Amino acid sequence: MEFKDYYKILGVAEAASADDVKKAYRKLARKYHPDVSKEQDAEVRFKEVGEAYEVLKDPEKRAEYDQLKRMGAYSEDGRFRPPPDWESASNFNGGGFTEADARHFSDFFESIFGRGGSAHRTYKQGHQQSFRMRGEDVHAKIALFLEEAFHGCEKQVQVQVPEIDEYGLVGHRSKSLNVKIPAGMGPGQHIRLRGQGAAGFGGAENGDLFLEVELAPHPVYSVDGKDIYLTLPVSPWEAALGATVTAPTLSGKVNVKVPKGASSGQKLRLKGKGLPGNPAGDQIIVLQVTLPKSHSADAEALYKELAEKEKSYNPRSKLGV
Amino acid sequence: MTRKTIISTVEVLGQSDTYTLRELCERGGVNAEFIIELVSYGVIAPVEERPAHQWQFDTLALARLSRAMRLQRDLQLNLPGLAMSLDLLDEVNELRREVARLNQQLSRLIAD
Repeated sequence: MEFKDYYKILGVAEAASADDVKKAYRKLARKYHPDVSKEQDAEVRFKEVGEAYEVLKDPEKRAEYDQLKRMGAYSEDGRFRPPPDWESASNFNGGGFTEADARHFSDFFESIFGRGGSAHRTYKQGHQQSFRMRGEDVHAKIALFLEEAFHGCEKQVQVQVPEIDEYGLVGHRSKSLNVKIPAGMGPGQHIRLRGQGAAGFGGAENGDLFLEVELAPHPVYSVDGKDIYLTLPVSPWEAALGATVTAPTLSGKVNVKVPKGASSGQKLRLKGKGLPGNPAGDQIIVLQVTLPKSHSADAEALYKELAEKEKSYNPRSKLGV
Repeated sequence: MTRKTIISTVEVLGQSDTYTLRELCERGGVNAEFIIELVSYGVIAPVEERPAHQWQFDTLALARLSRAMRLQRDLQLNLPGLAMSLDLLDEVNELRREVARLNQQLSRLIAD
């Protein structure tokens, strides 16, 4: 496994004081918290930062880590391996208290300090007398393409499910599920998979898995709740004279009547053509008057004639010029 | 360890899916006092104002509770800080979505 440079991860010098380590951690924890950050790799970074802090905040662990770092316990392939007789004095195994979510510490961490996790969560809540505890719910997100949300789909999701082993230690396991998503799920909507959360303890019920739907950006449509927006280009003459034009929807092409005298930004509503449901959303067409890149000599002559005939029209009257 | 299962029963949750205080405690693995405190600080809110034993929470409150617990554990926020962070986060997410939508529409307008 890779040797992790915890100092680099926290962005502090090896001589950094305990205070500096704490400051750096707090700042990065806020920055990369998966519920806060919009960065792609926030979750990975957040776990790394938590792990680095777990080691560097504790003088004993930090000393051990520094020792290993100096010794450079690398094997011939350049990968890290702790010395054969290595044993951490911090005894992380024994359920040592930790503020961070120790379920996600890396193999590198565990090879030095032992397996993370502690039973304190179970104890803290006073369930230990009954030995029966409903499994925790698990909340996760599921990202769909708009087409998938519109038509419904079958999708594979990976979730981390907490698991309590026979010693009462909280671990986690990665679980892969095939989920059938019904048609018409909008962003922010939730679905529930009964019994797919953490396992119950002592014969109690399993927790549920909740998935919140997120939609990936679409090149043509945008979504607001259950409504789908489409920008539809029309020519100046279609807008001026009115026309029947073809527009795409997620359920196929439709004919749309552009009213006479339409202008850019004008909205047309196609009832029930948004995301399916009860009630279904609408598709909202935003018209956009578009010009050809160049005109023929004939067309230019016609424009000149038009300019003459429409002399009184000042498109900039609202600007006071 | 990865295990694969075929799932056929998916429930779509709507406004009619609610949870009692007791269910919320069990699902979140927290005690009722903690939830009552969260409600008093406005971190989460029941669907209707009522005495605590009649409270009903919707799925959004449940999701918010799980976020609140993660934030409290990871960033050691106190309750007023938690309430404010969650409100601001909701607003930020709303704005991010809106900006993304507008940017997309704008890029189409100036694309040609």
